[in-house]
Amino acid sequence: MEPDKTLLELAGVDTGYNNSSTGIKVLHSDIRCKVKKGEFIALLGPNGVGKSSLIKTITGMLPSLTGNVLIKGKDIRHMSNREIASEVAVVLTDKISDTYLTAKDVVLTGRYPYGSFLGKVTKVDIDKVIEGFEVVGAKSIMNRYFYSLSDGEKQKVLLARALVQDTPLIILDEPTAFIDSPGKIQIMSLLDQLVNNHNKSVIITTHDTDMALKNVSTLWLLGFNKEFYSGSVSSMVEQGIINRVFDRDGVSFNKNSLRFENI
Amino acid sequence: MLAYRNISFVIFAVVIFMLFLLNIRFGSVDLSWTEVINSLFFSNSESGHGEVIILQYRLPQAITSISVGIGLSLAGMLLQTTFGNPLAGPSVLGISAGSSLGVALLVLMGGITGVSMGSNSIFFGDFGIVVAAFIGALAVLLIIIFVSGRIGNAVTVLIIGIMIGYLVSAVVGTLQFFSSSEDLHSFILWGLGSFSNTNISQSLTILILTLLISLTTLFFIKPLNALLLGYRYAVSSGFNVKILQTVFILFSGLLIALGTAFTGPIAFIGLAVPHIARSYFRTSNHSVLIPAVILFGAGFSLLCNLISKLPGYDASLPINAVTSIIGAPIVIWVIIKGRRLDIG
Repeated sequence: MEPDKTLLELAGVDTGYNNSSTGIKVLHSDIRCKVKKGEFIALLGPNGVGKSSLIKTITGMLPSLTGNVLIKGKDIRHMSNREIASEVAVVLTDKISDTYLTAKDVVLTGRYPYGSFLGKVTKVDIDKVIEGFEVVGAKSIMNRYFYSLSDGEKQKVLLARALVQDTPLIILDEPTAFIDSPGKIQIMSLLDQLVNNHNKSVIITTHDTDMALKNVSTLWLLGFNKEFYSGSVSSMVEQGIINRVFDRDGVSFNKNSLRFENI
Repeated sequence: MLAYRNISFVIFAVVIFMLFLLNIRFGSVDLSWTEVINSLFFSNSESGHGEVIILQYRLPQAITSISVGIGLSLAGMLLQTTFGNPLAGPSVLGISAGSSLGVALLVLMGGITGVSMGSNSIFFGDFGIVVAAFIGALAVLLIIIFVSGRIGNAVTVLIIGIMIGYLVSAVVGTLQFFSSSEDLHSFILWGLGSFSNTNISQSLTILILTLLISLTTLFFIKPLNALLLGYRYAVSSGFNVKILQTVFILFSGLLIALGTAFTGPIAFIGLAVPHIARSYFRTSNHSVLIPAVILFGAGFSLLCNLISKLPGYDASLPINAVTSIIGAPIVIWVIIKGRRLDIG
């Protein structure tokens, strides 16, 4: 796979739902794009446009209606959950119910794709987990119960979990939601660090557009007319595509300040 | 922390052994410790009056009590983890009631099926009752799976489980109306729940099968832990969650059916013990939780059985009264003391 460093490719993918009672509902059609090693991508679009569905499709949790999702050239439909888990790690928006699991227990589940199914936790697992906590700067909370952590701390723990999964690609669904402003900046610079120092590819969805534009290299944009755009931040801004997808009365995206403003 | 856990495990194992001896020692007939020790460990003949009581009645009862305690507790733990619902348990979700329905259909229609309770002469009798209990438990489990797939809310699923329980009881009641008085009598006795209806070979069979399934669950520590993070995180950890959920539900169905078939529905053990184990060891990690649930399940059940014998009196209480009287306050205490309703 070294010749071209494509980790993930979407080849004419239609996302959506095929429900026996309501029929086929296509959210976005003919999505074509590639994710290279070390790429930092933000997936943007208005509320309810189908960002999470695209994420689910990429991670194999929702089958694509047509087209193929390829991970390192392999069709995701022919990969087991375990194979996918060694290529793609996720941080989801799902609420984790309160249990007596420690932060360390939670991060350890990121090592499960590796050890044997029944096997014990190995020294390597433990070392990786400690290293993961160090990278996200959360070593001090390792032995605390996950439920007792703040939202920001929980997000760091889940990021550490994704990190110890040792995958080339990490996908995060709204990693900065419900987190205070300094926390958001911490998370974004952590992700930056993963891309630059650990050579990971990262895809995030977010509503913090200004912050995303400052940090990421590539934008994926989803609109309500089933359209999908991808390109570098500057080209997307120049072509005015951000305005096209976020079409809202009285509000417009300013190319110079890189923010949404009242007209 | 580790040392503290290991010491706790050793202490509880000793406590369980003592509870086991006390269960053998006490009952409506007063026996001496010498008789207990002699017949358990140095038995060479079944001549003595005490030896007969011990080997034919009290030993099977104690073994059944241990097995069913382990089985129901593990089933409760598996259901709570699989459904992500702290209130899941064999009796609460109507699964025990489902077992009853299966057994009722078999026994109360005894005229047609040729199966009757109380006569353990035919192998088919025992076997048929276990199968009927298992099918009944699985049927209710399937309904619960269907419902919880559509409604994520834990409390709603619980209420529907309770309603299913009522429905099934109503069907059982109707069946009773049409059945012969002999069948009815044995079914009602069974429905009250008791650990004392097994002979030694039946009790050993339940014990061995329960231990086999229990040991098998030890192979599933990782997926069970991953499931605590929710369905999608478990998938992202590389597990085929749908298949695993089916496996865990089959295991719990088997464990519940095994016990229920021989002892009748036993309340509260399955719900209470996992909570006691979690809050004692303060962990939901299944590598500690599974052995803890096995130990606490055996101990809790033996303790309840001992109390139901009312040492010193010439009578005994129904086992379900005791498990509920001890179990219900424990669950209330755990929930109040715990932070919120959770799987911890």
